Amino acid sequence: MPRDTLAELADEALVVLYAHGDPDAARLLAGRLLPRVLGYAGRMLSDRAEAEDVAQDAMLRLWKVAPEWRQGEAKVSTWIYRVVANLCTDRLRARRRRRAEALDDVAEPADGALSVVAGMIAADRMAALDAALAALPERQREAVVLRHIEGFSNPEIAEILQIGVEAVESLTARGKRALTALLSGQRVALGYEEAE
Amino acid sequence: MMDDLDDLLAGASRALVQPSEALMARVLADAAALQVRPVVVVARPRAGWFAGLAALFGGAGSLVGVGSAAVVGLFFGFVQPDGLGAVADLWAVGSVDQVDLMPQLDVLLAEE
Repeated sequence: MPRDTLAELADEALVVLYAHGDPDAARLLAGRLLPRVLGYAGRMLSDRAEAEDVAQDAMLRLWKVAPEWRQGEAKVSTWIYRVVANLCTDRLRARRRRRAEALDDVAEPADGALSVVAGMIAADRMAALDAALAALPERQREAVVLRHIEGFSNPEIAEILQIGVEAVESLTARGKRALTALLSGQRVALGYEEAE
Repeated sequence: MMDDLDDLLAGASRALVQPSEALMARVLADAAALQVRPVVVVARPRAGWFAGLAALFGGAGSLVGVGSAAVVGLFFGFVQPDGLGAVADLWAVGSVDQVDLMPQLDVLLAEE
């Protein structure tokens, strides 16, 4: 199939073509999906190397599931974000476990999140946003990133996170309030004018 | 501050994270390794009618032999040389009735 025609196809059709041996389908799918899942994993994990591992793993699972893919049952983007969310959750749990073992009985700093943001005074706005997102509870961070950065609808986020739509609405609202609180002290440093 | 946050989030949404060439190469290598190769069906060239006929007779040599015998038989059938009846008498046991089913060639030529 000509590349121009392939480029117009939906992700789901490309997965089916890949499964049937089309040599260009994988390149197009990777070009569309890899930047998105890499960005999402990066915001969830705050670690580029780990995010690359997760993104590669998620794409690998897509290649494996392609022969059984049935069009109309699920959107590829929703499916792969769910995979990334689960992989990130596993890694964050493992990270917390390692940290707990390393620190043994030493308590976490109570206001570690705020100190991270405070440390970003001289950084640019995106870095400050990433730091503030990293300070959010995991579920709130997932919901805010999926809704406001990745552009998914609430029902799609509910499918990705495997929770109810009302829970998604609650998580995004609480997440945005927390982000606002975290960044409110950074207005001047971030180049915003002081509120009158 | 909420408006500023919306601006920040919108900016983050527009900023795509570009994967490194190495990561893209690893992902495409995975894809190639797991992709089922399409089965290429090569059509065998169709044998001609002569090859089919030769196969029916057990090969081209047999077909040439059978064909030659048929041509010689037709030749004797049309020409009917004078000595053919004598040769037939030598081979035949008992009496042989000769029936002239076809006119001789000189008769046909004389009619034109």
